[in-house]
Amino acid sequence: MRLFAAFAIAKFLRFLTRLRGGGSAFPGFVLLRLVPDALERAVGSLPRGVIFVTGSNGKSTTTAMLTEILRAHGLRVFSNPAGGNLPQGLASALVGGASLLGRVAADIAVLEVDEAYGPSISDLVAPDWVVITNIQVDQLNRFGEPEAVYRLLLTLGHRATAGVVINGSDPNTTALGAELHATGTRVEQMQVSSAAQATAAHGLVPAPLFFDPTPNLAVAPGVVVSAVRGPQASLDVAGAVWKVTLPQPGLHYAVDAGLAMEMASVVLQDFKPERAVAALELGAGVYGRGEVIRYRGVDISLTMMKNLPSLQVNLDAFPAPLENVFIAVDEGTPDPSWIFDVDTRSLASVSVLSGSKAWQWALLLEHRGIPYGEVIEDSRAGLDAFIKNSPPQGGPLHAIVNYEQMMRIRRIAGYKELEGAR
Amino acid sequence: MSTFTIARLVPRMLGLNGSSHNASILASYLKHSGHTIEIVDVDAPEDAPARVDAVCVGSGSASTLRPAATLIIPLVRVLAQWRTHGAHVVAVGTGWDLLGHTVTTPEGEVLPGAGILPSHANHGGTRFSGEVAGVDYQGRASAGYVNQVGHVKLEGGAKPLMEIDAPESGYPREEGLVGDNVFATRVGGPAFALNPHWCEDVASSLLQARGETLQRTEFHSRIDHAAGEARRLIEARLGVARS
Repeated sequence: MRLFAAFAIAKFLRFLTRLRGGGSAFPGFVLLRLVPDALERAVGSLPRGVIFVTGSNGKSTTTAMLTEILRAHGLRVFSNPAGGNLPQGLASALVGGASLLGRVAADIAVLEVDEAYGPSISDLVAPDWVVITNIQVDQLNRFGEPEAVYRLLLTLGHRATAGVVINGSDPNTTALGAELHATGTRVEQMQVSSAAQATAAHGLVPAPLFFDPTPNLAVAPGVVVSAVRGPQASLDVAGAVWKVTLPQPGLHYAVDAGLAMEMASVVLQDFKPERAVAALELGAGVYGRGEVIRYRGVDISLTMMKNLPSLQVNLDAFPAPLENVFIAVDEGTPDPSWIFDVDTRSLASVSVLSGSKAWQWALLLEHRGIPYGEVIEDSRAGLDAFIKNSPPQGGPLHAIVNYEQMMRIRRIAGYKELEGAR
Repeated sequence: MSTFTIARLVPRMLGLNGSSHNASILASYLKHSGHTIEIVDVDAPEDAPARVDAVCVGSGSASTLRPAATLIIPLVRVLAQWRTHGAHVVAVGTGWDLLGHTVTTPEGEVLPGAGILPSHANHGGTRFSGEVAGVDYQGRASAGYVNQVGHVKLEGGAKPLMEIDAPESGYPREEGLVGDNVFATRVGGPAFALNPHWCEDVASSLLQARGETLQRTEFHSRIDHAAGEARRLIEARLGVARS
């Protein structure tokens, strides 16, 4: 009865928040206050288990890809939307996806999990498998240093009851995998060939951690990303090469696809690469990653600058230097010092800088000699000026934005919010 | 017009979060005054030019402390030689710590530093991560972001770079170190970007040593304006606005 009442209240709150045109993590927050073990009750006994997807970058895309691959194999998958990866975000997904009795009609759960909250979320529901995408320089204001992320992911990895799938071409996750393997955890890995890594100017951009001695993970990779060319990637699976169409050009999307294939091949006894390729072909586009939105009749492609590696790999993936870009960054990036580490050769000119950290970007552009137009702190006014100032061009205009500005710009353009988003 | 050489010390290990870019900002500042700049990365004595005008070192994380210390110790003689020839030192965070006399690790072990700067670092305390604003040793508004663990103690007579407005509980009011051709700070990233007056101090001093003065251009005015606006917003967020 308590469960029914809690879900009824949370679903009513969800209804109210959606009336105002968007999602919210609040219903999930309330649900967890009323039923702290709601997640465990809902997904803890799913017949095919629970998979966490975590790491510095690529969580959302890998989660979306893995979900599509599993669905293509006939499984019913419960998952959380991109970015809703904190406990209240996961619970909000549950509010939307579960019955009034708190049950989800699924065979397996694939949950994107924030790297800092991984251990505490594993207290709410124990993962069978954990997929770890990478450890990159990210949110130093929050983590202090990448070593802290390593320790958090190690703790989470130890809690995986079946095993861990890692990116074996990231030296940090390789070290983590080796440490887990040495203590008896089953570890599987996906790798990226040197040739494929060389297709991105800055490779996989791992965090500069220094291990002594250099870790060695004696586990053969199941999936190898052997080549990347634009939006096409070649994945070697069990001796056969499969061509995969990525949601956007870029080595990082090939890594996400490789990890999703690796995890699926491990968890599915009847894994069929052709089905996985077809599922990826259908596209598992992720909110804000190359997403094109329409505002005032103009298409705008959103590129996320969550952190140094995410911005660098996205810039590396553009075939030609970008001109007349809109850049918006605010307090969601408390310390944007890392922008000075970005190789900005893919940025030819900037039309408008916006957000409360816009002047810090202006300083970078000044020192790099990259021309820029106006600095307009207000995002809406900045976006309007951007559209007004932009000459017509063949494709969409380009906006490079942090997560919070992406959310704000989507709202300005009349798009719905993400359910469970922070 | 002169040619200047700037050394970046161990930049792959000590360059976290933009902190090695004080070198490129100093270079940009001088370049826009009409000078030629060469930046040399120095990881070992064999990389080191006989003379440099400035040596910049950035910050790192926990796993870099020992390997960076291992690389810097063989460079102590080179550093001393550069200093004898008047080289300026610009150091940030862990790089500053390692150029000081000692670094105490979180475990309590005391590592020897290069002994170039009059300070002792202790990584045993809590981490501070947040924006700071204050006035520097010449009364100029200064600001940035500090993300460092523990604290640094200056030796007697050493002068702090700035005094922080309303520091958080437990965080020292005095920040950084400034002295004879020395500039060190825990303000992370490239502190010169948000505080071009610090960059100008170093650039002017380098030029003065050559009998020249800094020729300011429109670039320098634009930089001052953008940095002033960025600092204004930091001060507003901290609630310490001066105007």
